[in-house]
Order: sequence, then C-alpha cells, then structure tokens
Amino acid sequence: MKIAVMSCIHGNYEALNAVLSDIDNQKADKIFCLGDLVGYGPHPNAVVDLIRSLDIPTVQGCWDEDIVEGLNACECSYPSILAEKRGKAAHGWTNDQIHPEVREYLAQLPLSLREENLCFVHGSPHNQHEYLMPEVNAFTALERVMATGADVLFCGHTHIPYVRTLDAGQLAVKVQQPEGTSTKQFTAPLKQIINAGSVGEPRHGRPNATYVIYDTDDKLTTLREVEYDYQLTCQAIIDKGLPAIFAWRLAQGLEYAERAEDPTHVCER
Amino acid sequence: MWAIASGIEGNLAAYEAVVADLRKSRQEVENFYLLGDIIGPKVESNQLVKRIQQPRNGEPTPLVCQGWWEEQILILHALGRTGEPTELIDRYGINMTKTLWDAIDSATLKWIQSLEFGFVELDCFLIHGSSISVSDELTPTIDPIQAIDRLSRMDANQLFCGRSGLAFEYKIESGSLNSQVQTLDKLTDPTPTILSPQRIVGVGSVGRVEGKASYTLYHPGSNKLEFKTVRYGAKKGFG
Repeated sequence: MKIAVMSCIHGNYEALNAVLSDIDNQKADKIFCLGDLVGYGPHPNAVVDLIRSLDIPTVQGCWDEDIVEGLNACECSYPSILAEKRGKAAHGWTNDQIHPEVREYLAQLPLSLREENLCFVHGSPHNQHEYLMPEVNAFTALERVMATGADVLFCGHTHIPYVRTLDAGQLAVKVQQPEGTSTKQFTAPLKQIINAGSVGEPRHGRPNATYVIYDTDDKLTTLREVEYDYQLTCQAIIDKGLPAIFAWRLAQGLEYAERAEDPTHVCER
Repeated sequence: MWAIASGIEGNLAAYEAVVADLRKSRQEVENFYLLGDIIGPKVESNQLVKRIQQPRNGEPTPLVCQGWWEEQILILHALGRTGEPTELIDRYGINMTKTLWDAIDSATLKWIQSLEFGFVELDCFLIHGSSISVSDELTPTIDPIQAIDRLSRMDANQLFCGRSGLAFEYKIESGSLNSQVQTLDKLTDPTPTILSPQRIVGVGSVGRVEGKASYTLYHPGSNKLEFKTVRYGAKKGFG
C-alpha cells in the first residue's frame, strides 16, 4: 500500500491543493495529515474544510492546540521580541478568523494515530512542541520511535523533510542489586523516523511544498517537492493584514528568526 | 563522600538510624542528599521536617528535593504543577486526600514549597523520579533505551533516584547505534553513535520498610558505590 503523509499546512490553501493533486498523480491509497492546519497562512478555514471533506486522518499540531487552548507557550518559544510579536499577531489573527465548527474540529483531533507498524504524530510522541531534528542524538531518536511501539514514526513540526534510519543498535547492561549481579545484551531492531516536511510553510530553502510517499510493501520513502503558485498565498498574506515577513519567508522557503536556541526544549506549559 | 537517601515517608526513627549510621562510619560526608518523599501521610512528618531543618552538631546539612508525596500535598493546596490529585486518588483512594491534608501543617507546607526539583553536581543528576517527572519510577528492569533517554535529558552520566525505593545500580557498559539521514538534497553516510558508560542508581528507601532503612554512599573520586542497610527499632537484630 502506498500512503501519502503531509504536515504543517498552515492555512496555505494553494499549497494544499497542489499537494493533493500530486498525491493523486502518485496514486497513493491513503493520506495522513500530521497537523498544524492553521497558523501563519491566510486560509485556515478553507484548509480545514478541505481536509474534513476528504476525511483525511489527522493528528493535532501545536498550532491547532494553541487555537483551541489559547496561546500559553513560555517565552523560550520565541528567540526574539520581534519573533514573539509576530507569532502573537498571527495567533490573534487566526483566532479571530476561525469558525466555531473549525475550532471544534481542531479540538477533537487525536495526538497520535496508528496504522499497523506505523505511528503518526506532529512533533514527537511525547509532545506536540518537541522538534525531532535530524541531528538529534541517535539514541534519543530511537527512544522516540520505540516509545510508540511502532517501527516507523512519522512526524512534522520542523518543516524540513527527512528520513532517518536507525539500525545495528547494540547495548550491554550490567545490573547490580543486593540479591546479585546480572548482565544483559540488547539489540535494537531497525527503526525509522520520517519527517513529512511542510505543505504550506516550507523551510528547506525553496518555496515548494513538501510531503512524503511511503510504500508499506517495499518500505521505501519518497520525499516529494511540489511547485505551486506560492505568490498567490504571499499576496493573500499581505491582503489580509498578516505580518508581511510571513510572505517573504514563504517565498524564500526559509525560517526567519523563529527557531529557539535549543530546538529540543519543550515548554513547561 | 556523598550520602544519598530517599523515601523517609515521615519515619523519624528510620531517619535517626541513618544519621547515626553515618556518624558511626567516621567518614566525612561532603554532601548529604535527601531525594524526596521526606513526608508521608502522617503527622510525624512535621517533626521529621523540623529535625531535618536543624541538624545537630557535626551532622551534615541535608540537601533536599521534592518527592512524590511532596508533590501530592502541593497539588492538594493548588500549588502543584497539575490541578487535580488524580494520581493520589488512583493509588490510595479518595480518603487519602483528607488524611494527607490533615497530616501536614502549614510550616511544613511552606518548607516543601522551597525545595528544589533535583540537583546537578559533577556528572550526576539527583532527583526523586527522573528527568521526566517525580512519578517516573526507574527500576532494575527499565528498558535500556528509556534509561539512556532519562540520562541524556539532563546530559548526565549518572542518575541517582529514589522513586522505586529499591537499591540498585543499572549500568550501561557500552552501546552503539548507526544512523543515516536522507534529505531532499543529500544522503549521509551511516554514522555510528557510541555510548560512554553511564548508570542509573536506585538509592533505596529509608522509611518505607519498617525496621530496615537503606541508603547509598557515593565516592565521587573513585566513582565507587556502597549500598547501606541499617536495622533499627525493637526488632533490631532479632527479627
């Protein structure tokens, strides 16, 4: 079976349409979405309506949670006062625009989904706000996959797609207790983390939308990059009064002063 | 030398037995850590806290962090990190909320509020539960990948904890794992991550088992551990 996994649409209707067309062309049997349907972009309601109309299994992202629960991330979420100001402006705008039924839909989204040996989350199995960067310690990455009981963990949140394969894991453990000492050898089976990138707010250096196709039969992943008319979204961002820097960074496919110094830090909320 | 204890649970006699044992050892205790669960659901907890706050001549001043029982009383007073005492009720039943509330006086509560969540010293992390939470119970049967995660979250080589009440050393002697990353633009070569030795130490429980207090000595210079057991009370030596 061929599955398509996408994440971080961020109210970018144009990008979502383009990705759905590409998924159609790739003849995927099923689509999963890893959340962050809203935030930053100009069409949050339209994006949610489209996802709902296609009945795409979706997990809740951190932006979706913030719209439901209210923005209460600690100050470490923002590396600068400017970034904080922009983030709060985008949250306020989205919060004002969201239709009640869209908010209700976002509120009932699960934090994770399972399909046989595959698990789907937004950030990490432990927290929607945790960034699983490709360079995070390999044992930490392995723990995140093993915590789910799955073999393949799909995540998003970083906005840059990647496939990380973890294998040939070996551990030697010695346990000493008053009753005696024992030694154990462990081998870790092959596990993968597949990051789906971002449909609507990519940060890999180009403005194209990204998502992944995973074939459950041959276990192969294809990272997809889809061109679309991003200028339409950029124009809508400006027309609707969202911070203009969001249009600029969408056009560049870059993160702009939005990454916290320690990406693995998880807010104590 | 460090002395590390946990789980007194309001048992003053057990604490006195440990302090007396330390005195008898005639070794200088550089740091005396009490890793939470100082109190339990009993009035004697208040007396114990006063005793800890006022060490006698020659006794080390304990460095104390919060434990599970301390967190429960803070939650009951709406001072905890969660709103509802769900864990307390699930474990001991609804009546325990009143028992604990009635047992702990305001002076003890104020002292509990001032406690640290844990300590970082040299390459050691000392806490009641783990880097995840005060409730996280690390035991000798923990999955090694979880053990590495708990250590790496605090960038520590040694984690001393007391939640399980057990005395144990769980040592990861060696480990390796290959990692390969494919991005849109490149495929990296497989890169091995090699683990250096690291360990989790359960420090035992002072007051959980009546008549038998256990704690741990650690020598930072030699990295040596000693698990100590002290018998106390009427049944001492004849049980």
